[in-house]
Amino acid sequence: MSDLLEMARKVAHKAKARGAQGVQASVYRSRDSELEWRDGKIDRLRESTRMGVGVTLYVDGRYSSNSTSDLRDSAIEHFLDDTVATTRVLAADPHRKLPDPARYASRFQGDLEVFDTASMSPSERRKLARSLEEAARANPDAGEIISVTSSCSNSTSESAMVCSNGMEGQRRRSTFALFAETSVKDEGDRKPEGWWYAVQRHKADLPPIATIGQEATRRALGMRGAKPEKSGQYACAIENAVAGRLLGDLIGPLHGQDIQQKRSFLADRLGQDIGSAALTIVDDPLLPRGLSSRTYDGEGMSTIKRPIFTRGKLETFFLDTYYASKLGKEPTTAGTSNLVFEAGERDLDGLLAAMGTGILITGFSGGNSNPATGDFSIGIRGYWIEKGRRARPLAEMNLAGNHLEFWKKLAEMGKDAYVYSSWRTPSMRFEPVQFSGT
Amino acid sequence: MQKGINRRDFLKWIGAGTAAASVPALGCATGGSTGLHRAAGREAGAHSTYFDGFGVDGGLIGKVIRKGLTRGGDFCDVFLQHKISHWVGMEDAAINRAYSNVDLGAGIRVLKGDATGFAYCEDLTEQAMLETAETAASVADAAAPGIRAAPLAARKIESRYTVELPWSEVGIDKKLPLIERANAKARGRDPRIIKVTIFLADQTSHILVANSEGLLVEDEQPMAVMYVTCVAAKDKQIETGYQSVSSRDGLRFFSPEVLDKLSNEAADYTTKLFDAVSAPVGELPVVLAPGVSGILLHEAMGHGMEADFNRKGVSIYADRIGKRVAPDEVTICDDGTCDRMRGSINIDDEGAPAQRTVLVEKGILRSYMHDRISAKHYSVASTGSGRRQSFRYPPVPRMRNTYMVSGPHDPAEIIASVDKGLYAEVFSNGQVHIGAGDFTFYLKHGRLIEKGKLTRVVKDANLIGSGPKVLEHVEMVGNDMLLFSGGGSCGKDGQRVPVGFGLPTVRVGAISIGGRAS
Repeated sequence: MSDLLEMARKVAHKAKARGAQGVQASVYRSRDSELEWRDGKIDRLRESTRMGVGVTLYVDGRYSSNSTSDLRDSAIEHFLDDTVATTRVLAADPHRKLPDPARYASRFQGDLEVFDTASMSPSERRKLARSLEEAARANPDAGEIISVTSSCSNSTSESAMVCSNGMEGQRRRSTFALFAETSVKDEGDRKPEGWWYAVQRHKADLPPIATIGQEATRRALGMRGAKPEKSGQYACAIENAVAGRLLGDLIGPLHGQDIQQKRSFLADRLGQDIGSAALTIVDDPLLPRGLSSRTYDGEGMSTIKRPIFTRGKLETFFLDTYYASKLGKEPTTAGTSNLVFEAGERDLDGLLAAMGTGILITGFSGGNSNPATGDFSIGIRGYWIEKGRRARPLAEMNLAGNHLEFWKKLAEMGKDAYVYSSWRTPSMRFEPVQFSGT
Repeated sequence: MQKGINRRDFLKWIGAGTAAASVPALGCATGGSTGLHRAAGREAGAHSTYFDGFGVDGGLIGKVIRKGLTRGGDFCDVFLQHKISHWVGMEDAAINRAYSNVDLGAGIRVLKGDATGFAYCEDLTEQAMLETAETAASVADAAAPGIRAAPLAARKIESRYTVELPWSEVGIDKKLPLIERANAKARGRDPRIIKVTIFLADQTSHILVANSEGLLVEDEQPMAVMYVTCVAAKDKQIETGYQSVSSRDGLRFFSPEVLDKLSNEAADYTTKLFDAVSAPVGELPVVLAPGVSGILLHEAMGHGMEADFNRKGVSIYADRIGKRVAPDEVTICDDGTCDRMRGSINIDDEGAPAQRTVLVEKGILRSYMHDRISAKHYSVASTGSGRRQSFRYPPVPRMRNTYMVSGPHDPAEIIASVDKGLYAEVFSNGQVHIGAGDFTFYLKHGRLIEKGKLTRVVKDANLIGSGPKVLEHVEMVGNDMLLFSGGGSCGKDGQRVPVGFGLPTVRVGAISIGGRAS
């Protein structure tokens, strides 16, 4: 890994020699292996080694950011010639600068445990992918299955970063992932699919194979005969694994560019209640084994734990050095790392029991949100719930609302944090909201 | 991570609110490049290629292919790519940021039956390429080669998108006035516009495809796109909107007319929203305006007609060839040959020539979109639909420019035929579930139709329906087919490729509209 740091230093030095007063140079290298398996045989093997260089330049008050995978010595020289020259042609921007060196200090020194030395051989990937299919087919309704696709993948990545005003960093990460997808017969030509996956930094943290394969098939079979319900206002619950899709439209407008460019419905709402008291979210970059754990962010600033919402109140924006300067505020960090939620007391079944009648959302489709107004509309699938139980599957429906009203209807969070995403969303239960169907 | 592993299909424009992070990735913009980026001795001989300049000649490519076949593979191809991308942007009236990217590498694929071994390297040395071929070869497990590679023979193609000067050699100084003009126009359009952000992105991609059947073919693929995003304020109300244009063309594409139309539309799409009300809730007849609403075809049936999903039996259109899927008025094409459209190509990423593929002819499903693997499976010729995001991905069947051919009706007649419905004008994104067939597309704005007349503006609603049902219930097709010239991209299998689409004014049956007004 030290060779990457050495290369980053060299690139920074070369850029400075060409007249850049400030430089951030980063170098990465990664190795990825994936085996995809379909219906009893290998479908695709994929292997790759990547390496590249990124360089962010501050030249006479001007800014550009550039990357290349052409690492031949002569190509790097030309690349820096070109990029430094191009930067000089741009307009000067007083807000463009490297982070305050004070923000490089107090970096977390412990082990985030995001690198596992365990390996995975090609034959092991094959065995795991085959087991995923076997698990997916181990169902009393296996006769309804049209096709099962599974995959097993692992990767390692290393990177180094140098900022010319006094920051150096190196890190490495590993990833192990399992995926299964089942396609089943339904009425007419419909062939609903279900999929499930697990991803972890440590191989030993992967769940039993059978749970993933079985869940994929269970989800596909559950969607047979799905139909829309009548349009109306219904109570709803959102399953933990998919809740991040909707939350993303609430988090997006917290970013500096949206706020400074006045296209954020949250721009003037710092310190205000945006959600109900059940909405407590912390950004925790130092979570051991977290999928987005990091001791320094994309600008090299040391990371800290940061509350985003506390009992519904908006606590922070995501501001990088540039947009913080434009807004006349202190930078925080450019974006989320791991989001951790204050857990409730019940699992999903408990939430459904509390809801009684309504809609359980198990998947989203398409949709969008207007960042300036908070209006959103998004396709959903899931189940109609009666007496706390799944009565029939739903599809071809939309959920619509405004984020400023929607999160105030959050009745409770589940205790079932979803661990296969860096946003560890639990299942959530909401008071009645607008659904459109027939 | 979430999205990387999730193989759902989705279609989203960059700049559509949530995708700011993907903008620099598009990027790239260095000024006048040097001899490094130029082809060395391109006209000199049969095996002299653009990649000679990188030390990769026909001899080495042949050696790599032979290495790929050493474990008994049936077929091997090599995809070389050198892509130079630039991005330059304006915010708060200053052009003060630029991004650039250079991608160089080789993707090597070995097929054994319909199984794929794929590996890539970003280092074009002989050692790296041979190791990569060896990795891809392991999809087969024999001790010796099964077939012999044919000698490589270079094939010349006529380009349908030549440019006077490749973008890789256009200095940034030539781009600045274009952005300045677009900014002035957008700001001048309406005093309520308070913010304008603009970016201009360009790409020059050199590709070479060579395979064990002896094919060796090259292409130079230009791409240009400009986005204008506006924010407007009226009292305390804030609205935002955007428009884009894109073409496989050079600098000349950004004529004053193109820039002015782009900026005016971006501004109008934004200020129009001040008068808008929430869209209705529930099922209503929908009239699709011509142009960008072609996204309906892309989502509702396009993906379902990509042959890989059918080969695997998981598409709702599996086993429907020769059967009726739409009324007589409906003819749908996927076409790689449209003039400088974003989804146009000379060759696909397996080296097959582009073509106009008739998918649905007078309501009858005629063809899927095929790559090499699916064509072999169905014993048909490839339709030139094997596409990939870059050398880092194996090709899969993809759409190019997908459109419905004009029908008999006058657009005014179509609108007048609806008593109460939605006239859907501008869309931003969509998604489909291939097997179940339900699709969505997101309406940025449109109009209500009341008693055959266009009335109030409505905004921000997701539309959802069953693709096959919507296609079966196309009720009237207008005579005004329009290709959308903006910057559309399609995601599938974790890969994004540029696509185009088009539609005449079309009346479809009831679609569920996810608005909030009752």
